[in-house]
This record gives sequence, structure tokens and C-alpha cells, in this order.
Amino acid sequence: MDQPFELLPEPFQINPSLPIYEQFVEAIQGRIVSGQIPSGSRLPSVRELAAGRGVNPTTIARTYQELERIGLIVTYRGQGTFVTRDETAIGGARKVMMRRAIQDFKAAAAKLGITAEQLLEFDKEDSNE
Amino acid sequence: MSEYILDNSNSGIGVSAEPAAVECIGLGLTLRKKSILHDVTFNIPRGSLTGLLGPNGAGKSSLLRIIAGLADPDTGSVEIFGKPAGAKRLGELSLLPDRSSLPGWLSVREWLNFAAGIYPDWDPAKAQELQAKLSVSAEAVISTLSRGEEARLQLLTCLSRKAPLIILDEPFTGVDLISRERIASAVVAELADGARTFLIATHDIREMELLFDRLILIGGGTIRSVDEVDTLRRSGKSVESHYREVFA
Repeated sequence: MDQPFELLPEPFQINPSLPIYEQFVEAIQGRIVSGQIPSGSRLPSVRELAAGRGVNPTTIARTYQELERIGLIVTYRGQGTFVTRDETAIGGARKVMMRRAIQDFKAAAAKLGITAEQLLEFDKEDSNE
Repeated sequence: MSEYILDNSNSGIGVSAEPAAVECIGLGLTLRKKSILHDVTFNIPRGSLTGLLGPNGAGKSSLLRIIAGLADPDTGSVEIFGKPAGAKRLGELSLLPDRSSLPGWLSVREWLNFAAGIYPDWDPAKAQELQAKLSVSAEAVISTLSRGEEARLQLLTCLSRKAPLIILDEPFTGVDLISRERIASAVVAELADGARTFLIATHDIREMELLFDRLILIGGGTIRSVDEVDTLRRSGKSVESHYREVFA
């Protein structure tokens, strides 16, 4: 059954200098992967979400199109759009996000002139103190 | 998803089989020896939500009046859905003018009954829905409304018609923030339930920029740029920063 959930965090700060649908895809993807949006949940209609967020409906349509391409949501004709129950698809998306997180982490370490391992090691020592 | 078809022909400048909602070619207008519009050429694809932005005196209102068929250009032509603009197109477009023209002595209810009588495409169910959404009280006399309430009544009047082209000239002038947000979401909700085309002239870039998919900048009576908003964002620009760049 439908459990209450927020599709996007509230408030959600939109950056007007970047494609908006990409920001929505990123945020919703993270919430599906982390389980904040349960699998099988029904998504609001394009119209509803566009009106609620004050954005162009094309932006929402594109967001849903992209999430559908990734395999995180499915549309059943006449019934609506739902978060997939396919754990493989969710796992796949999680892996992609994990890889990106690692890349960001490594980049942050490199900025400090150390390796990711050294940064983790530091965290261990630091929390033992 | 199934209810909203993503039509890429609306977002590109490419050739589409259907005529554009608005097609302006070489518009020129001179009033008292002063050039108001010069060689204004652009088109607006069907279903688009286009922002017309520019400083005061840029020629926005004159341009919108010509598109609406309320004024004639000295040169050039305007087509609305492939047919010449003019009085015959009035049934296909709904204009919210920049200055209020509502009869102050009527109550809101009397005005809406009157409007239902004069517009053949009036949608009473939509009028009722918008009245609730925009919180416009039926009993109030128009002359006693605040600017914000009057602006909402104007929008309600404009959007309660089934016309496929909606033209809003500065819908937010003098309107408080809450009203603006209500108006903005009403505009979006309205667009989303059909293939209607919106052309909106406004100074309120920040309130509106997430709504626009297409942007026309006009300054000193000439078109300064026509862009797809997504293309701007891909190059790291917002509607606002692009506006500042062009008019700096």
C-alpha cells in the first residue's frame, strides 16, 4: 500500500544555473537507493509535481523519463508511475552512486596531497583519540 | 508519465509539421517618430512556456498587443497558429493586459457571470476551480480588492477560457509574494493539463525562471536573444545571469 514519503527533500534548493531535471534525478535516485522512498511507491503525476515545485512540466516529464531509463521507476499504462520492485535495478543504481562517491572521496584526498587510504586511516586515529 | 507526452519538437528550433503558436516576422512599429519595435522576428512553438523579458520601455507591451491583434505593426507580420493575427484570432488567445481593465462597480460574482456570457470558450468548472485555488472571494466588489486580489481575479479570468494561447503581460506587478507563488503554481498546473502555449512578459525573473522553457530577450525594440532555457543551463547559465549578461 501507499506509504507517505516525500519524493524530493523539503525544502529542496534548486540551482537555476544547471539543468533542473538532472538535479531532480540525482536527488530522487539517492532517495530510492537509500530506501527513503520505498520500492513500489506510487509517484505523483507530472502535473502534480510540476505545480508543487513551481517548475515547467517538461522538466518533470524529463526527470521521469531519465529515471525510467535507469530502471528505477516503471509506468503502467492507466495506473501511474511506480518505484521499481526490482532489487537488481536498485542495486545497480546504488553501485553507480557508490562509484561516484568513491571518486569524489579520492578527489578530496588528492586535493590534500594524500591517498584515500591515508584519509581513512586518519579518520580511524582521529576518532580513537 | 503516460498523461504527459514529452514532445521534443517543442523544445527545439527544428522544423515542425505544425505551424508555431506565434510567428513574428520583421515586425516594426513607430509611434510619433519614435521607433518602438524594429525588425522583430521570432517564433514560439506550441506547448511552450516562453518568457519575454526586457527592461522598461523595451517594447514588450506593444509587441504583445500586436500579437494579440489589438494593434497593427507598420511593417512585418504575425501569425497565430498559422493564420494572420487580428480580431479573427481573438477566440484563440486569452490576454492578461498590463493594466487592469475590470469594471470596479461589479462584484466578483457579477463579473464572472458577465465574462461567462461574453467569452464563448468560457469554462465554468475551471473558473470555479481557479477561484478556490487563487482564493478570490465571490462577494467582494472589484473596486475594493487589493492589487494582489485584483491580479488574481485577472488571472482567473484569463485562464478560465479554453483558448490555446495565453498571453500574460506583467501578471505580478504590485502583487505580494504569497500571491506570486499562488499565481506561479496556478500557471504551471494550467499548462500541465493540456497543450496550451504561454507567453509571459515579466520583471520577476526569479519567481518565474524555473517555469520557462524558452526565453526571448527584448531591449530597445529589438530582439536581443532567443534561447532554450535548458541550453543556457547546460552552459552553466541561469535565466537571471543570462539576462544580466545581455543587458549589462
